Amino acid sequence: MNLFPERNPKLAWREIDGEAVIISPEDSHVHELNETASLIWTSADGRHSVDDIADVMAAKYDVPLPVAKADACELIEMLSAKGLLVSPKAEAQAGA
Amino acid sequence: MPLSLLIPGTDLREKALSRYREFTAHGEGGLPVVLRSDAQSVRRPECKDPNFSYVLDDTSMLLDSFGAEFHGVRHEYALDSLLRILLTMVLLPQRGFLLHAATVVRDGRAYVFTGRSGAGKSTVASLSPAGTVMTDEISLLRFTDGCWQAYGTPFWGEFRAAGQNEHYPIAGIYTLVQSAEDRVESLTTKEMIRALLPCVLFFTSKVEANEDLLRLLLGFVGQVPCERLHFRRDDGFWKVIAA
Repeated sequence: MNLFPERNPKLAWREIDGEAVIISPEDSHVHELNETASLIWTSADGRHSVDDIADVMAAKYDVPLPVAKADACELIEMLSAKGLLVSPKAEAQAGA
Repeated sequence: MPLSLLIPGTDLREKALSRYREFTAHGEGGLPVVLRSDAQSVRRPECKDPNFSYVLDDTSMLLDSFGAEFHGVRHEYALDSLLRILLTMVLLPQRGFLLHAATVVRDGRAYVFTGRSGAGKSTVASLSPAGTVMTDEISLLRFTDGCWQAYGTPFWGEFRAAGQNEHYPIAGIYTLVQSAEDRVESLTTKEMIRALLPCVLFFTSKVEANEDLLRLLLGFVGQVPCERLHFRRDDGFWKVIAA
Protein backbone atom coordinates (compact mmCIF):
# COMPACT_ATOMS: atom_id res chain seq x y z
CA MET A 1 0.00 0.00 0.00
CA ASN A 2 1.34 3.43 -0.93
CA LEU A 3 1.50 5.32 2.38
CA PHE A 4 2.49 8.56 0.68
CA PRO A 5 1.29 8.18 -2.88
CA GLU A 6 2.85 10.38 -5.50
CA ARG A 7 2.03 10.99 -9.12
CA ASN A 8 4.37 9.17 -11.46
CA PRO A 9 6.71 11.97 -12.65
CA LYS A 10 7.02 10.30 -16.05
CA LEU A 11 3.44 11.21 -16.89
CA ALA A 12 1.99 14.39 -18.36
CA TRP A 13 -1.40 15.52 -17.18
CA ARG A 14 -3.93 18.30 -17.03
CA GLU A 15 -7.13 18.68 -15.09
CA ILE A 16 -10.10 19.24 -17.40
CA ASP A 17 -13.50 20.08 -15.93
CA GLY A 18 -12.40 18.65 -12.59
CA GLU A 19 -11.14 15.38 -14.02
CA ALA A 20 -7.56 14.38 -14.78
CA VAL A 21 -6.44 13.46 -18.27
CA ILE A 22 -3.08 11.74 -18.13
CA ILE A 23 -0.72 10.95 -21.00
CA SER A 24 1.96 8.31 -20.77
CA PRO A 25 4.52 9.73 -23.22
CA GLU A 26 6.39 6.47 -23.55
CA ASP A 27 3.46 4.61 -25.11
CA SER A 28 1.10 7.53 -25.90
CA HIS A 29 -1.56 5.89 -23.76
CA VAL A 30 -4.21 8.26 -22.41
CA HIS A 31 -5.81 7.69 -19.02
CA GLU A 32 -8.95 9.50 -17.98
CA LEU A 33 -9.90 9.58 -14.31
CA ASN A 34 -13.31 10.19 -12.83
CA GLU A 35 -13.87 12.88 -10.23
CA THR A 36 -13.00 10.75 -7.20
CA ALA A 37 -9.89 9.24 -8.75
CA SER A 38 -8.91 12.73 -9.90
CA LEU A 39 -9.16 13.98 -6.33
CA ILE A 40 -6.70 11.31 -5.26
CA TRP A 41 -4.49 12.05 -8.25
CA THR A 42 -4.28 15.75 -7.51
CA SER A 43 -3.71 15.09 -3.80
CA ALA A 44 -0.97 12.55 -4.43
CA ASP A 45 2.01 14.83 -4.09
CA GLY A 46 4.21 12.50 -2.01
CA ARG A 47 3.68 14.65 1.10
CA HIS A 48 0.10 13.77 1.94
CA SER A 49 -0.58 10.37 3.45
CA VAL A 50 -3.45 8.05 2.67
CA ASP A 51 -5.09 9.27 5.88
CA ASP A 52 -4.76 12.87 4.72
CA ILE A 53 -6.37 12.02 1.39
CA ALA A 54 -9.15 10.07 3.12
CA ASP A 55 -9.85 13.13 5.27
CA VAL A 56 -10.29 15.26 2.16
CA MET A 57 -12.56 12.66 0.56
CA ALA A 58 -14.69 12.29 3.69
CA ALA A 59 -15.19 16.04 3.89
CA LYS A 60 -15.86 16.52 0.19
CA TYR A 61 -18.32 13.64 -0.25
CA ASP A 62 -19.75 13.77 3.29
CA VAL A 63 -19.08 10.10 4.06
CA PRO A 64 -17.76 8.48 7.24
CA LEU A 65 -13.98 8.47 7.48
CA PRO A 66 -13.65 4.64 7.46
CA VAL A 67 -15.65 4.49 4.24
CA ALA A 68 -13.56 7.25 2.67
CA LYS A 69 -10.35 5.53 3.71
CA ALA A 70 -11.46 2.20 2.25
CA ASP A 71 -12.36 3.89 -1.01
CA ALA A 72 -9.10 5.84 -1.04
CA CYS A 73 -7.07 2.67 -0.45
CA GLU A 74 -8.88 0.84 -3.23
CA LEU A 75 -8.39 3.66 -5.71
CA ILE A 76 -4.74 4.19 -4.76
CA GLU A 77 -4.04 0.52 -5.29
CA MET A 78 -5.78 0.64 -8.65
CA LEU A 79 -3.87 3.72 -9.75
CA SER A 80 -0.62 2.25 -8.48
CA ALA A 81 -1.25 -1.00 -10.34
CA LYS A 82 -1.64 1.02 -13.53
CA GLY A 83 1.67 2.75 -12.83
CA LEU A 84 0.07 6.13 -12.38
CA LEU A 85 1.09 6.49 -8.73
CA VAL A 86 4.39 5.75 -7.07
CA SER A 87 5.38 5.87 -3.43
CA PRO A 88 8.94 7.05 -2.93
CA LYS A 89 8.62 7.45 0.84
CA ALA A 90 7.33 3.93 1.31
CA GLU A 91 10.09 2.62 -0.93
CA ALA A 92 12.69 4.62 0.98
CA GLN A 93 11.37 3.34 4.31
CA ALA A 94 11.41 -0.22 3.03
CA GLY A 95 14.98 0.20 1.86
CA ALA A 96 16.20 1.82 5.10
CA MET B 1 10.89 32.15 -39.96
CA PRO B 2 11.62 29.76 -42.82
CA LEU B 3 12.11 26.08 -42.16
CA SER B 4 15.65 25.58 -43.37
CA LEU B 5 16.39 22.07 -44.64
CA LEU B 6 19.88 20.92 -45.57
CA ILE B 7 19.67 17.97 -47.95
CA PRO B 8 23.13 17.05 -49.22
CA GLY B 9 22.04 14.53 -51.86
CA THR B 10 21.29 16.09 -55.24
CA ASP B 11 18.74 13.47 -56.25
CA LEU B 12 16.71 13.78 -53.07
CA ARG B 13 17.02 17.55 -53.05
CA GLU B 14 15.57 17.75 -56.56
CA LYS B 15 12.69 15.52 -55.53
CA ALA B 16 12.14 17.66 -52.47
CA LEU B 17 12.21 20.82 -54.58
CA SER B 18 9.40 19.34 -56.65
CA ARG B 19 7.46 17.94 -53.72
CA TYR B 20 7.62 21.11 -51.64
CA ARG B 21 7.58 23.58 -54.54
CA GLU B 22 4.63 25.53 -53.18
CA PHE B 23 6.49 26.00 -49.91
CA THR B 24 9.98 26.84 -51.14
CA ALA B 25 8.70 30.19 -52.35
CA HIS B 26 8.31 32.40 -49.30
CA GLY B 27 4.58 32.67 -48.94
CA GLU B 28 3.48 35.67 -46.98
CA GLY B 29 3.04 34.35 -43.47
CA GLY B 30 2.72 30.78 -44.67
CA LEU B 31 5.13 27.97 -44.04
CA PRO B 32 8.20 28.89 -46.04
CA VAL B 33 10.73 26.15 -46.62
CA VAL B 34 14.30 26.70 -47.74
CA LEU B 35 16.13 23.75 -49.27
CA ARG B 36 19.89 23.96 -49.11
CA SER B 37 22.75 21.88 -50.40
CA ASP B 38 26.23 21.54 -48.89
CA ALA B 39 27.53 24.26 -51.19
CA GLN B 40 24.94 26.72 -49.96
CA SER B 41 25.38 25.77 -46.36
CA VAL B 42 26.66 28.26 -43.85
CA ARG B 43 26.43 25.80 -41.02
CA ARG B 44 29.48 24.49 -39.28
CA PRO B 45 30.76 21.22 -40.76
CA GLU B 46 29.58 19.05 -37.91
CA CYS B 47 26.50 19.58 -35.84
CA LYS B 48 27.63 18.05 -32.58
CA ASP B 49 25.07 19.48 -30.23
CA PRO B 50 21.68 19.48 -31.94
CA ASN B 51 18.50 20.52 -30.20
CA PHE B 52 16.92 17.39 -31.53
CA SER B 53 18.22 14.36 -33.35
CA TYR B 54 16.53 11.38 -34.86
CA VAL B 55 18.52 8.41 -36.06
CA LEU B 56 17.10 5.35 -37.76
CA ASP B 57 19.52 2.81 -39.21
CA ASP B 58 21.77 4.84 -41.51
CA THR B 59 19.34 7.75 -41.71
CA SER B 60 19.62 10.79 -39.49
CA MET B 61 17.98 14.13 -38.88
CA LEU B 62 19.52 16.87 -36.78
CA LEU B 63 17.86 20.07 -35.73
CA ASP B 64 19.57 23.12 -34.30
CA SER B 65 19.28 26.86 -34.60
CA PHE B 66 20.61 26.72 -38.18
CA GLY B 67 17.79 24.51 -39.35
CA ALA B 68 17.39 20.83 -40.06
CA GLU B 69 19.95 18.55 -41.63
CA PHE B 70 19.12 15.24 -43.26
CA HIS B 71 21.61 12.51 -44.03
CA GLY B 72 21.19 9.12 -45.61
CA VAL B 73 17.59 9.76 -46.63
CA ARG B 74 17.10 8.15 -50.00
CA HIS B 75 13.41 8.46 -50.66
CA GLU B 76 11.12 11.48 -50.72
CA TYR B 77 8.50 9.65 -48.67
CA ALA B 78 11.06 9.04 -45.94
CA LEU B 79 11.89 12.73 -46.10
CA ASP B 80 8.18 13.47 -45.73
CA SER B 81 8.01 11.35 -42.58
CA LEU B 82 11.08 12.99 -41.09
CA LEU B 83 9.72 16.41 -41.95
CA ARG B 84 6.52 15.66 -40.05
CA ILE B 85 8.53 14.63 -36.99
CA LEU B 86 10.63 17.76 -37.36
CA LEU B 87 7.59 19.99 -37.64
CA THR B 88 6.05 18.63 -34.44
CA MET B 89 9.24 19.65 -32.64
CA VAL B 90 9.50 23.06 -34.25
CA LEU B 91 5.84 23.97 -33.95
CA LEU B 92 5.22 23.22 -30.28
CA PRO B 93 7.08 26.24 -28.87
CA GLN B 94 5.44 28.33 -31.61
CA ARG B 95 1.97 27.36 -30.42
CA GLY B 96 1.32 24.98 -33.29
CA PHE B 97 0.73 21.32 -33.99
CA LEU B 98 0.03 18.85 -36.77
CA LEU B 99 -3.31 17.11 -36.83
CA HIS B 100 -4.71 14.27 -38.89
CA ALA B 101 -7.34 16.42 -40.52
CA ALA B 102 -8.65 17.72 -43.81
CA THR B 103 -8.93 21.47 -44.13
CA VAL B 104 -11.29 23.19 -46.53
CA VAL B 105 -11.47 26.94 -47.08
CA ARG B 106 -14.86 28.55 -47.44
CA ASP B 107 -15.53 32.28 -47.53
CA GLY B 108 -12.00 33.00 -46.36
CA ARG B 109 -12.15 30.78 -43.31
CA ALA B 110 -10.77 27.32 -42.66
CA TYR B 111 -12.98 24.40 -41.68
CA VAL B 112 -10.98 21.58 -40.14
CA PHE B 113 -12.32 18.01 -40.27
CA THR B 114 -10.48 15.56 -38.08
CA GLY B 115 -10.64 11.86 -37.45
CA ARG B 116 -8.65 8.70 -37.67
CA SER B 117 -8.09 6.80 -40.87
CA GLY B 118 -11.44 5.98 -42.47
CA ALA B 119 -13.35 8.70 -40.61
CA GLY B 120 -14.08 10.58 -43.81
CA LYS B 121 -11.36 13.21 -44.24
CA SER B 122 -10.82 12.38 -47.90
CA THR B 123 -14.58 12.07 -48.43
CA VAL B 124 -15.09 15.59 -47.14
CA ALA B 125 -12.26 16.79 -49.36
CA SER B 126 -13.76 15.05 -52.39
CA LEU B 127 -17.10 16.76 -51.73
CA SER B 128 -15.50 20.21 -51.67
CA PRO B 129 -14.99 22.46 -54.69
CA ALA B 130 -11.65 22.26 -56.47
CA GLY B 131 -9.09 24.66 -55.07
CA THR B 132 -10.69 24.92 -51.65
CA VAL B 133 -8.97 21.91 -50.08
CA MET B 134 -5.77 22.84 -48.24
CA THR B 135 -5.05 19.23 -47.32
CA ASP B 136 -7.01 16.00 -47.05
CA GLU B 137 -4.70 14.34 -44.53
CA ILE B 138 -2.52 16.46 -42.23
CA SER B 139 -3.32 20.00 -41.19
CA LEU B 140 -1.00 22.46 -39.53
CA LEU B 141 -2.81 24.51 -36.88
CA ARG B 142 -1.10 27.40 -35.20
CA PHE B 143 -1.93 30.42 -33.08
CA THR B 144 -0.70 33.46 -34.99
CA ASP B 145 -1.82 37.05 -35.32
CA GLY B 146 -4.13 36.71 -32.35
CA CYS B 147 -6.13 33.71 -33.52
CA TRP B 148 -5.88 30.06 -34.46
CA GLN B 149 -5.15 29.56 -38.13
CA ALA B 150 -4.90 26.58 -40.46
CA TYR B 151 -1.84 26.43 -42.69
CA GLY B 152 -1.42 24.48 -45.88
CA THR B 153 0.95 21.53 -45.74
CA PRO B 154 2.65 19.40 -48.37
CA PHE B 155 1.21 16.30 -46.70
CA TRP B 156 -1.66 14.67 -48.52
CA GLY B 157 -3.58 11.42 -48.44
CA GLU B 158 -5.65 10.20 -51.36
CA PHE B 159 -5.58 13.62 -53.03
CA ARG B 160 -2.09 14.09 -54.37
CA ALA B 161 -1.38 17.78 -54.69
CA ALA B 162 1.40 20.24 -54.05
CA GLY B 163 -0.54 21.97 -51.31
CA GLN B 164 -1.14 25.64 -50.75
CA ASN B 165 1.29 27.76 -48.83
CA GLU B 166 -1.47 29.86 -47.35
CA HIS B 167 -3.23 30.23 -44.05
CA TYR B 168 -6.72 31.11 -42.95
CA PRO B 169 -8.40 31.75 -39.60
CA ILE B 170 -10.15 28.64 -38.34
CA ALA B 171 -13.96 28.84 -38.37
CA GLY B 172 -14.37 25.54 -36.55
CA ILE B 173 -13.07 22.04 -36.07
CA TYR B 174 -15.25 18.98 -36.52
CA THR B 175 -14.66 15.39 -35.51
CA LEU B 176 -16.11 13.21 -38.25
CA VAL B 177 -18.74 10.51 -37.89
CA GLN B 178 -20.30 9.03 -41.01
CA SER B 179 -24.03 8.87 -40.48
CA ALA B 180 -27.45 8.73 -42.13
CA GLU B 181 -28.08 12.38 -41.36
CA ASP B 182 -26.24 15.67 -41.29
CA ARG B 183 -26.08 17.24 -37.86
CA VAL B 184 -23.61 18.74 -35.44
CA GLU B 185 -23.24 17.80 -31.80
CA SER B 186 -21.70 19.93 -29.12
CA LEU B 187 -18.74 18.46 -27.26
CA THR B 188 -17.37 19.19 -23.83
CA THR B 189 -13.78 20.24 -23.49
CA LYS B 190 -12.84 16.79 -22.26
CA GLU B 191 -14.70 15.07 -25.10
CA MET B 192 -12.92 17.26 -27.62
CA ILE B 193 -9.51 16.63 -26.07
CA ARG B 194 -10.32 12.91 -26.12
CA ALA B 195 -11.17 13.18 -29.82
CA LEU B 196 -8.12 15.28 -30.69
CA LEU B 197 -5.37 13.42 -28.85
CA PRO B 198 -5.32 10.30 -31.06
CA CYS B 199 -5.24 12.53 -34.14
CA VAL B 200 -2.38 14.79 -33.08
CA LEU B 201 0.99 13.92 -34.59
CA PHE B 202 3.45 13.88 -31.72
CA PHE B 203 6.59 11.84 -31.39
CA THR B 204 8.49 12.87 -28.30
CA SER B 205 8.42 11.00 -25.02
CA LYS B 206 9.57 14.03 -23.03
CA VAL B 207 7.10 14.70 -20.21
CA GLU B 208 7.48 18.48 -20.45
CA ALA B 209 6.70 18.47 -24.16
CA ASN B 210 3.59 16.36 -23.57
CA GLU B 211 2.51 18.76 -20.82
CA ASP B 212 3.02 21.64 -23.26
CA LEU B 213 0.95 19.82 -25.87
CA LEU B 214 -1.92 19.28 -23.45
CA ARG B 215 -1.79 22.94 -22.44
CA LEU B 216 -1.77 23.97 -26.10
CA LEU B 217 -4.73 21.73 -26.97
CA LEU B 218 -6.73 23.06 -24.04
CA GLY B 219 -6.11 26.59 -25.29
CA PHE B 220 -7.10 25.52 -28.79
CA VAL B 221 -10.34 23.87 -27.64
CA GLY B 222 -11.16 26.93 -25.56
CA GLN B 223 -10.73 29.32 -28.46
CA VAL B 224 -11.99 27.41 -31.50
CA PRO B 225 -15.58 26.17 -31.97
CA CYS B 226 -15.41 22.38 -31.66
CA GLU B 227 -18.21 20.01 -32.63
CA ARG B 228 -18.83 16.45 -33.73
CA LEU B 229 -20.12 16.32 -37.29
CA HIS B 230 -22.41 13.49 -38.28
CA PHE B 231 -22.51 13.54 -42.06
CA ARG B 232 -23.76 11.69 -45.07
CA ARG B 233 -21.57 11.13 -48.08
CA ASP B 234 -22.72 14.27 -49.83
CA ASP B 235 -22.10 17.97 -49.44
CA GLY B 236 -25.23 18.56 -47.34
CA PHE B 237 -23.08 18.84 -44.23
CA TRP B 238 -22.17 22.41 -45.16
CA LYS B 239 -25.73 23.42 -44.38
CA VAL B 240 -25.39 22.37 -40.76
CA ILE B 241 -21.91 23.65 -40.06
CA ALA B 242 -22.15 26.95 -41.90
CA ALA B 243 -25.62 27.64 -40.49
